[in-house]
Amino acid sequence: MKKNLYLALIMIFFFVETAVLFYFIWADVSPSQDTVAVNEVLKGLEADWQGPDTSPVYNGLDYVVLDGEGRVLFSTAQGLSESVSAATAHRDTMLDIRQGDKTVGKLIVYNRADAIYESRKRAIAVAVAFIMLLQAAAIGGYVTYLRKTLLQPFHRLKDFAQRVAGGNLDIPLEMDRQNIFGAFTESFDLMRSELKKARLAEAQANAAKKELVAELSHDIKTPVASIKAASEVGLALADSNRLRDNYTQIIRKADQINTLVTNLFTATLEELEQLSVTLTDMESGELAQMLENADYLHRSAVPAVSAIPPCLLCADRLRLQQVFDNIYANSYKYAGTDITLAITREGSRLIVAIQDFGGGVSRQELPFLKEKFRRGSNAETVEGAGLGLYISDYFMRKMGGELSVENGPGGLKVSVEVPLSYICK
Amino acid sequence: MGKTLLKTESLSKSFSSGGAMQHVLKNIDLELYEGDFTVIMGASGAGKSTLLYALSGMDTPTLGTITFGDRVISDLNADELAVFRRRHCGFVFQQIYLIDGMSVMDNVLAAGLLVNRDRKALSRRARELFAAVDIPPETQSKFPAQISGGEAQRAGIVRGLINAPEILFADEPTGALNSKTGLHVLDTLTGFNRQGQSVVMVTHDMRSARRGNRILYLKDGVILGECDLGKYVHGDAGRHEKLSAFLAEMGW
Repeated sequence: MKKNLYLALIMIFFFVETAVLFYFIWADVSPSQDTVAVNEVLKGLEADWQGPDTSPVYNGLDYVVLDGEGRVLFSTAQGLSESVSAATAHRDTMLDIRQGDKTVGKLIVYNRADAIYESRKRAIAVAVAFIMLLQAAAIGGYVTYLRKTLLQPFHRLKDFAQRVAGGNLDIPLEMDRQNIFGAFTESFDLMRSELKKARLAEAQANAAKKELVAELSHDIKTPVASIKAASEVGLALADSNRLRDNYTQIIRKADQINTLVTNLFTATLEELEQLSVTLTDMESGELAQMLENADYLHRSAVPAVSAIPPCLLCADRLRLQQVFDNIYANSYKYAGTDITLAITREGSRLIVAIQDFGGGVSRQELPFLKEKFRRGSNAETVEGAGLGLYISDYFMRKMGGELSVENGPGGLKVSVEVPLSYICK
Repeated sequence: MGKTLLKTESLSKSFSSGGAMQHVLKNIDLELYEGDFTVIMGASGAGKSTLLYALSGMDTPTLGTITFGDRVISDLNADELAVFRRRHCGFVFQQIYLIDGMSVMDNVLAAGLLVNRDRKALSRRARELFAAVDIPPETQSKFPAQISGGEAQRAGIVRGLINAPEILFADEPTGALNSKTGLHVLDTLTGFNRQGQSVVMVTHDMRSARRGNRILYLKDGVILGECDLGKYVHGDAGRHEKLSAFLAEMGW
């Protein structure tokens, strides 16, 4: 509505301007003498004609009076035409002054067309300037209006595009359906919402896939447990060495499958960000039982509870057990030697150092041991997925602790730093 | 800083309530020094009293060690602890627990006789202590019901000090008193501390806390911070300012 108003105003001003100009161009601009005033002067002079002693009649006109011989009798102002020839050149009005039938003199009324012309020019200039001013105001208004309706939406579109480019698909594009670009910007916003939907669908599909793996891992563990249980019964009842060896083999492999599946399961969960670590206060003495559980081949001397520095730890029992399980399983797999254990308190941490005598790993490989799917060069013949230390490290960091791997004297030394409980949430 | 009187390592105390463990004190590593007026501050439920009871051998810690002088008291059984406590620790409680059927003097002597059989020496020390806390002889022969709360608490201090303990443990000693009598009790404690008596006091009252030269702030069973007011003499405005700033920092 505003747009039309501005446009109408501009048009109106333009027409008015044109009209004014045309008026001045076509109107009778050649100024003519005021005939009545001239006649009045003439009649006055004729009535009071006294030859050279005639006195001037004043009524606002400038004029010169000549006698019959062309001599100037008087003139009302300086600089007027004082001869017939000058008057003709200046297009002054010349009239005969008569007494009876005789021409006694000449009245030359000064032509003031120049001055009148000048004043008209000024009037035109003022009028045109005024109208142009109005027009400029209208154009200014119109430009502002255009800026608001055309440029601002584009600026908003620019910000919107930047956000979308930055991956933020949540903020919709504000738009005004009244605006001429409303439909145009709306399609941009539609693009955004479609993109967002696609992203969401992709994330859901990914999550579903991972959930499937997680569920499968869980499902696999159940029959494996049955196999293991049945084999253990078989082992107990076996009467020949060969059978016993076979059953032991089955049990060992079942344990391996279990470990692998557990790690796969946890790795998947971790990607789902579902891997929960629930911190609780626990007494350091509980570590003895955990370490004993982890060391099912009894390769290390389990420390007495009294040998563990007594303190309150802040940890997740289940996850900590998983960490120890992984460390012992690794040592069994790669070193297969005796294991020494040392538990010390250092400041606000309790450090469980687990060391074997399998020679450790090369210096180049040491920094990468904790990475996902990373396996040492000696791992080719050993089953595994390269997840154990990665998950253990993740758990320890979640507990506010740390897992560090270094080459100790004789073999690999894994240190698990469990934080002491101060403010345990 | 005097020599170390008491030292704890990873002192933790847990209670089991309805199957769930509640950890009231967590890994407290603390040293108490001879001649100090140590104040343990903190909000209700922070574990102040539990800490005081563990330090003084009234209770045994769940984990960790407490070394009193050169004896590890965290390993003692209840009977051994009781004997140890009588000899080395004095107590002042919010509830004064004077025995109603005995005179004020007899209340004090009873506590003394558990440790020291020399009645004469005990009476002499009791009289000295009563004089120091402004309890005249006629009040000493009155029964607990006949004396004021402030007098009762000062008598409680005398009882706590009768065996010349290494540390006097006070648990909110002014909690049940009005501000004037409370001030008198605090003055009494401050006076004994100036004479070299080590005091450990639990309080949640800032006015009382100002008396200490070492303030420990306990929160959720953990010593969150400590503040040394030792360089300000008692009554110095700087003492109050520093304590206020410390408590503000601790989120008091």
